Amino acid sequence: MSELPLREASLSYLRTRIRVSVAIILLAMGLLAARLWQLQLLRGESFLELSQSNRVRIVRLPPPRGKIIDSTGHVVAENNPSFTFSVVPGELKDPQRLIHTCSDILGMTPEKLRGLLERSRTIPRFMNYPLKRNMSLEEVSLLKLQVSDLKGVSLEAKPRRVYPWGETLCHVTGTLGEISAEALVKGPKLGYQAGDFVGKSGVEKEYETYLKGEEGWERIEIDARGKQLGIFSRHDPQPGSDVILTVNAEFQRYVEEVFIHRAGSVMAVDPDTGRILAMVSKPGFDLNMFSPSISERQWKSLNSDPLHPLENRSIRGLYSPASTFKIVTAAAGLAENVIDPGHKFTCKGDLELRGQVFRCWNQYGHGKVGLHRAIVESCDIYFYELGLRLGGDRMARWASLFGLGQPTGIGLPQELPGLLPTSAWKLRTYSEPWKEGETVTLAIGQGYLVSTPIQLAMMTAALANGGKLLKPTIVQKVVSHDGRVIIEHVPLVRRNMPLDPAAASFLSTAMRDVVADKRGTGRRCRVPGLNIRAKTGTSQVIRLKERTAEDDRIPYHERTHAIFVAYVDDQPKKLALVVIVEHGGGGGASAAPIARKIIARYYGVPDPGDPSD
Amino acid sequence: MPQTDLKPKWHSPGLVDWPLVLISLALTGIGIGLIFSATSAMGEAGRSLVLKQITWCSLALVLMALFALFDYHSLDRWAGWFYVAVIIALVAVWGLGKVTAGSRRWIELGLMRFQPSEFAKLAVIVILAKYYQNGAEKQERQLSRLIRPVLLVALPMMLVLIQPDLGTAGLIFLIAASMTAVAGLSRRALLWMGGVILSVIAILALFGDRILMGYQKKRLLTFLNPDADPLGAGYHIIQSQIAIGSGGLFGKGFLQGSQNQLMFLPVNHTDFIFSILAEEWGFVGCAIVLILFSALFLKGVAVASQARDNFGALLAFGCTATLFWHVAINVGMVMGLAPVVGVPLCFLSYGGSSLLVSFICVAILVNVSMRRFSY
Repeated sequence: MSELPLREASLSYLRTRIRVSVAIILLAMGLLAARLWQLQLLRGESFLELSQSNRVRIVRLPPPRGKIIDSTGHVVAENNPSFTFSVVPGELKDPQRLIHTCSDILGMTPEKLRGLLERSRTIPRFMNYPLKRNMSLEEVSLLKLQVSDLKGVSLEAKPRRVYPWGETLCHVTGTLGEISAEALVKGPKLGYQAGDFVGKSGVEKEYETYLKGEEGWERIEIDARGKQLGIFSRHDPQPGSDVILTVNAEFQRYVEEVFIHRAGSVMAVDPDTGRILAMVSKPGFDLNMFSPSISERQWKSLNSDPLHPLENRSIRGLYSPASTFKIVTAAAGLAENVIDPGHKFTCKGDLELRGQVFRCWNQYGHGKVGLHRAIVESCDIYFYELGLRLGGDRMARWASLFGLGQPTGIGLPQELPGLLPTSAWKLRTYSEPWKEGETVTLAIGQGYLVSTPIQLAMMTAALANGGKLLKPTIVQKVVSHDGRVIIEHVPLVRRNMPLDPAAASFLSTAMRDVVADKRGTGRRCRVPGLNIRAKTGTSQVIRLKERTAEDDRIPYHERTHAIFVAYVDDQPKKLALVVIVEHGGGGGASAAPIARKIIARYYGVPDPGDPSD
Repeated sequence: MPQTDLKPKWHSPGLVDWPLVLISLALTGIGIGLIFSATSAMGEAGRSLVLKQITWCSLALVLMALFALFDYHSLDRWAGWFYVAVIIALVAVWGLGKVTAGSRRWIELGLMRFQPSEFAKLAVIVILAKYYQNGAEKQERQLSRLIRPVLLVALPMMLVLIQPDLGTAGLIFLIAASMTAVAGLSRRALLWMGGVILSVIAILALFGDRILMGYQKKRLLTFLNPDADPLGAGYHIIQSQIAIGSGGLFGKGFLQGSQNQLMFLPVNHTDFIFSILAEEWGFVGCAIVLILFSALFLKGVAVASQARDNFGALLAFGCTATLFWHVAINVGMVMGLAPVVGVPLCFLSYGGSSLLVSFICVAILVNVSMRRFSY
């Protein structure tokens, strides 16, 4: 075949070259063998010595975590050393002696200790197998005496997060947990290892990078057995920075105690600075459950609790503002010149709109009512009429000016923005146009509109400070361990409300009368000597065909939420307050008394109790 | 080229190059023993790694048997598709891969972890073999002919380099360079290449600051002077050399390697497995393994030179080159002769992808050798 010679020629060309590679292979292998000879035979002795005698191990020194401190210097979260007694199975020579001397101190039966020692043999021989964690100081000192010359045991002190205030400020502080696998991936660059604890919620999470500090390391000499000979060098860890809160823990605790209902939220804010004075979400939980780490059973019970104690309702609870929204509607009505303060509508107890009937809470009607009385007695019909004249989108614009429908930017994880419906939104979401009935419900703060307590608090604060929507903050300062101030809060005005002084003054007077007037819905909040301006709200949870007078007959989950917003602006320290009692019934009935107690306490006057009329 | 029969032919077992297979199995067996020792300090986790390696080995054997069935010329036909598939997989890794320890190298497929960069080596071998098989005569060797193969190699190499995986990218380059040197270049061109390589080294030396990533730079510097940073980058190399050197002539014995047992050597069951061998079995043990590897390479070269056509010769040569460079770089790295790059040791290191690819290389060698007489 004529092809063969050509193929042969090309093949033989390749063959020769391939054979050259044999030389290269042998050369490389020879080189490796030579190096082996050098390392193992020529220098073998010295390497052997090195491997047997001195060896260096690097031990990572975790940094002490920064503390979380309240505004008066009380420590809310700090670290205590927690002692763990471990055995090093490869080194333990006299297990009998260990059992004999230590089982009492450890509080275990000898059999249990023996069992643990058995199990310790399954782990690598030179690692620590913990026998007892979280030992008290007495146990530790007793133990130290017994094991001072015992080989194969070790006593380690590890920091443990403790919360001296227990349940107070639990949502604000947040919890710690082991770093997750996903976060660990970015870990090495940031100094985290598997098993490290990081903030999982609240301030612990948001300020993790400040609280964490910087790890250090120690270069230890150990011998062939792994026994520590000495410390070569040490690079101290940098403790984390401390976070100072704006909240006074004692005041917060008082608010928590005064809130006697099952669930809800209280937010108290300084209207001049945006600093949060109290942030309560009920039900809460004891932070110490999570220290050192929460048990499976407790975790399950917290998570399956239908009232969701782990959720911070102050930033994640979504409630229809109900009648508290009437302030916004009123402000909009005045600013847009749709009404003036003197204008009156007639309330007959209900309003019919295209076949749908909208009721007032007062089924007999308020008669002819002007804006002042409409606010004081919370007449629904007035606001229906006002709402219809304003239109949904204009009300939404004003609601947005007041901060509804947007996150407040408080700087805690997972804040929800609530929902502010507009005609564009409705078209986008439901592909349906806005209906007039929805304007009507929006005017009284129901319908699609939902907001968080903190949004309502900032809205109230804006009323208290003359129309500035501020950014709230829960952290006043972050201070490094050596005293340097790293972050300091400066009040930030997000927006100035275009409210003219006459209108503002009118609203302010009306809201004062909500409390002061004998028919005011907020009369249970009266404190002599203080001008408290407020608005009640009763937020419907489900649509009721008829209004039932007896709240107790209604199942808990269908009862209305009680909402109360209040402020004091003529004292040296101003205050803005929001109280929401979930399924608490009427705002004036359930939420107002709580607000009264809080306001009285804040201004240092005794609580006058419920008014007799 | 005559049209070859693409259906699997039953070849008598006598034609199978058993020494190749046996050497591979012997090395894998040694590897499993070493992995057992390397992971004995890890307790339960270690046991599972050993089992996984055994599983991978069985899978690899099955795969090898399958690979031997078909005629390797079908690789010629499917070379293009295989190449494209590997490129797609590499891009997918870059896009969706599970991020482990800062680099994307894996795709998780249920229980299996799939490392496409390993298969990139195969793709490069096949595509280059296909490209170079014709015109091995001197006349056609011009540098301009190299543009296409350079591009074909550069693409997967870049995709691997950005994962980032300096080691595998370098290996791809070496394999391609070996194949090109053998089949693609005239003597003059080879001298040119040598010059280029020297210039690249010079450029890295002078401007490496700006080209290499931080830790890659560190690695090279550490390679040149490990004592400069004994607790950081140099730690690995120093510990590895202590382990190797302390093995002496006969080693410390099975499971007695103290460096290993006290876990001074991180990742000792993967890249640094040779250190375990050296510490526990000494110079004698290492020599035996090196001899086994040398036998493997020489056999591979023999298969290449006895192949009946250029394609087979180049395939065989490429596979041999792959195995050779892995061993040369890994063992060199472990002994401080090469910078620490993540290159596993064929058959010995723990790792499914590495084992599979090594066995596939051997399978191709067996395949080519089996068919050297059929026409």
